This record gives sequence, structure tokens and C-alpha cells, in this order.
Amino acid sequence: MKKLKLSMRARYFMEGYSFISLWLIGFLMFMAIPLGRSMYYSFHALKVSKDGLIATFVGMDHFRAAFTTDVNFLPLLKETMVSTLTQVPLILIFSLFCAILLNRGMIGKTFFRGVFFLPVIIASGAILSKLMDQGAANLPIFYNQNLYNKLSAFIPGDILETLLKSAESLTLVMWDSGVQILIFLAGLQTISISLYEAAKCDGATAWESFWKITFPMIMPMMLVNTLFSIVSSFTKADNQIMSHILNVVFKNNDFGYGSAMGWIYFVFIFLILGVVFLLFRKSLSATEGRK
Amino acid sequence: MLKEAASTVRPADMEPLSTRLRASGKLDRAAKRSFRVIHVAFYYLVILSLTFVFLYPLLYMVSKSMMQMQDVADATVQWIPKKLSFHNYSLAWNALNFWGGFANSAIISFGSAVLQILSCSLVGYGFARYRFPGYMMCFVLLLFTFLVPPQTIVVPLYLFFSDLGWINTHLPFVIPSLFGHGLKGALFVLIFVQFYRRMPNVLEEAARIDGAGPFRTYWRIMFPLAKPAMLIVFLFSVVWHWNDSFEPNTYLTTPDFYNLSQRLAMFYGTNNQAAETMSQMTSGSIGMAPTGLNQIMAGCILTILPILILYLFVQRHFVESVERSGIAGE
Repeated sequence: MKKLKLSMRARYFMEGYSFISLWLIGFLMFMAIPLGRSMYYSFHALKVSKDGLIATFVGMDHFRAAFTTDVNFLPLLKETMVSTLTQVPLILIFSLFCAILLNRGMIGKTFFRGVFFLPVIIASGAILSKLMDQGAANLPIFYNQNLYNKLSAFIPGDILETLLKSAESLTLVMWDSGVQILIFLAGLQTISISLYEAAKCDGATAWESFWKITFPMIMPMMLVNTLFSIVSSFTKADNQIMSHILNVVFKNNDFGYGSAMGWIYFVFIFLILGVVFLLFRKSLSATEGRK
Repeated sequence: MLKEAASTVRPADMEPLSTRLRASGKLDRAAKRSFRVIHVAFYYLVILSLTFVFLYPLLYMVSKSMMQMQDVADATVQWIPKKLSFHNYSLAWNALNFWGGFANSAIISFGSAVLQILSCSLVGYGFARYRFPGYMMCFVLLLFTFLVPPQTIVVPLYLFFSDLGWINTHLPFVIPSLFGHGLKGALFVLIFVQFYRRMPNVLEEAARIDGAGPFRTYWRIMFPLAKPAMLIVFLFSVVWHWNDSFEPNTYLTTPDFYNLSQRLAMFYGTNNQAAETMSQMTSGSIGMAPTGLNQIMAGCILTILPILILYLFVQRHFVESVERSGIAGE
């Protein structure tokens, strides 16, 4: 076999391309072309006929319909956004707390760690929706102890109700935070102990060294976790928007409108992710400087 | 005089309580030890209660699935059924048509997982070790792939697969995995990128000097070293494919081809013979708990049992792998 005459540099580039070529082909087939086609569909009305799909151009009609005539879409979108924005911070706080708890030597370390990652396995898909149907997703503590009546003397009703509601959804938060605990735990392991020792010598309390050492060092994982939580909560199995889109597409066979809703949803998610990136930019550049 | 008094008071005020106690001799060794005991006890209390909350759904499922109808309705029975019965399991086993669903789920999740390990690792190595024109753009596209929600592209993909005649087969799950895509494929590529970036490249240089080509170097040297990352990708891929309901609901449309979690979702849903007869049997009695709760829970247990067993086996290695593979990024 005759070897191609290439300079060292060109050969190096070719090797790189050949490693990722598999992914690039996949990207074209399963991402780029479908994205383009769904963009095309969202501006067209599609009819299924014998010769395949017939597309007629309708302009922005689908997008207008989503915001004006569809009675389900906007409330569902709002509901999804609100639940994501309230749950993601809770997930982050809770999983960081758990990771710190798990990050110290103790009896039965392996057992506890195994249990804390269990939600990754149980709490997804069909199981979760079955459990929620049966009311098992709520911890019974808050009902059994008649907490509402006891506390309503001290706290105004409206505030108390939202408080209790978020306490109820705490179980859901806990079940969603398996992967996040994992990532935080791995992040905590990378912080060198000598930093804490130095801080201790300088007289820092545990509280201070958490805010001055652990928190800044864990910031990149915070970003990873925030992104992961947002993306996974938008694509969760019990997500109302997803089932709405599936209904429109496969029950009503309205491919164009389904694609348009998919795009609106995508744009909303992207906006939220953009805001997250802006918020994290400052603290991330601070950590970069420290390295 | 006043000045002197002030100076004697102030330092004591400013120092923390423990120092003052120690200075006054009140905090001797025994007290210190009891402080520590309380601290540790509190720590275990917190972690045990959290453990209970994490185990709660599992315990709930196990306990309810062992109960018979009278026990479910009986308010005095909380956790432990009066009479142990495995009858629910055999009922659920038949209603789920367990082996059929299991075979489908297993082919989808294990097939995709193995292919994703092979392809994502190869691509991840390329991203970790090579810089070429357009590298940044490819990497941004990789991140972009992770962020695109599947429902945005579900319509064209469905039409694409149905044109190829792949609906009601396993191909829509397996083929994208072969190309490093599929369910959360971009995330797995990123895990491998992180892992390979942290590896020293001395080994590769040695292999290259000994005359191995780039692919041989990758396949013989680097790939076998990536076991921690492989384990994580394998477990995540299996579990996520196993529990996913969006893609199966889209691509597997006839009940004969349903996987386990779809069958579970259909369990006690509509057009299910067993469910209808069961609900007729129970609807007559008053004060009944939700129909067939115990059987549904038995079905849940059966559905997750295979991955639960898998998890029990790899759990110990799994946690270690997470720490070693640099999944958290730098």
C-alpha cells in the first residue's frame, strides 16, 4: 500500500478527524438534519398522503397558534418553567449538603453511598409516575402530624401553605439529586486537604473554611450540576409539555404544530441556560484565576 | 480606672465561648469528649434519617407488594402485612408478560450501553488528544447536542426511522448509539473526554515510538485504561435506557414490542384485560384502597429488579470509579 504524502501536521489533523468522524456522521444524521427538518416543518402544514408528506407553507401560523389559540400550551409551559426554577436551587443545595455529609470517614461508608445513589435507579420514568399516582411520593410526616393547624397560629396561611408545599416536594427533590450528589462528591475529593489544614492553622472555623475554600473550589461542579439539573428537569418523564407535544404529534398527526412547539420550548430552555451562564461567568473566572 | 475595666472586659467578650470555658478550666477532657460524642451522634442521626427517606419508596414498594387486599385496606396495617404472600408477584409477572418485556428492555439498554461505550470512548479520545482546524466548533456542537431537548427533533427522527421501516424494532435505539449519539450520548462523550485529558501521554508516546499507529495505540493502550469511565457510562446508559419512556413510547408503538417500563405504565391502564377484571372484582367493596395497589407495586419491583441486581454488583466499584474518572470536570 502506497502511503499518502502528507506533512506531519496534516497527518496529525487527519488522525484527529478520523477519531471524531464517527460522531460527526452521527451528528449529521441524528441531530443536524432532523433539526433542519423540524425547523422546516414548523413553518409548514403537513398532510399525510399516499405519496408521503405534503407540505404547504403557512409562515408563522403555528407559532402564533401556540401563543394565542392553544389553551394548553402556555399554562403548561409556565408550570414547567416555575417548577424547574424552584426545584433546581433546592436540588443544588440538597445535593451539596449530602455530598459533604458523605465526604467524611464513617462506619458503613459504602452502604450509605450506595443508598444515596439509589434514586438514580428508582426515581425515573414509569416507576416514579406510578408512585406519584399512589401518593407515595409525599412523605406522610406533614399530613400525619397535623402540622398545618399547629403552625397556622404563628405563620400566616398563605406563606405556610407554600412552605409546606415545598416541604412536600422535598422528596421529589431528593430523588432527583442522585447524579448531582455524585458529581459534588467527586468534586469534593479533588480539593486538597492541605488547604483546610492551612486554614485551620490560621484559625479559621469550619464555617469559614466552607465559604472560603469549599464553596469557591466547587464552583465549576456547581455549573455542571446546574446545567444538568435544568436539562434533566426539562426532559423528565412526567414533564407535561413533552406529553402534550407527543399527543399533538401522534394523536392528532399535526407534525408541523408539534415541531413549532418543540422549537418554542427549545428557545425557552436556551434562554434560561444563557442566564445561568451569565450568572456563573464571574465566579468561574475567579476560580480560573486562583488555579 | 474606666479604661482599665474596659480593657479587661473586652478580650473575654471577643473570644469564642470554648476558649473562655477552657481558660476558666470548665472544659476539661471529659466535657470535650462528650461534646464530640454528641456531635457524632447528631451526624449519624442526620445521615440515618436521610437514608430512610431515600429508601422510603423502595420499602414502600416491597411492603405493599407483599400485602393482600384486606391488608391494603386495613388502616391498622402500616408496614408489615398480616399474611405474607407472593401472589401479587405472580399476577404482575403474567400481566407484564415479563420475559417479553425483559427481552426488549435488555436488548435496548445493554445493546446501546455497549455500543455507546465503544463509540463515545473513541470520539472522546479524539476530542481529548487532538487539536485540529474546527476543533472549537465541533466541541461547541457537542455541548449543543447535549442541550437540545429530544422533543424538538422527535418529529423528523420519527419520520426518518419510519421511512427506513425501523418502527417497532430496536434499531432506533441501537444505531444512534453506534455513532456516539442516542440517549444522553453527548454527556458520555464528555465523560470520556474528561477522563482521557487527565491521563498522562507518556504511555502513548512510548507506544508510538515502538511503531504502533494511532488507532492501535488507542485500542491497545488507552481504551483498556479507561475502565473507570467505562463503568460509569455503562451503568448510566443501562439505567437511563431502562427507565426511559419518551423514546420507547415514540418508536415502539405496538403492545407486542413494548419494553418493561411501557408495560408497567399500561398495567392497570386502559385496554388491559387483567386490569379490567380486577377492577370489577374490587369496585364492589367499600373503603377499598386504590385499585390493585399491591399488584402495581409488585409490578414496579419486578421492573426495577434487574437493574437493582446489576447495581448491587457494581455499586462498590461504581463509587470508586466516579472519584477516579474525573466526571466532575476540572
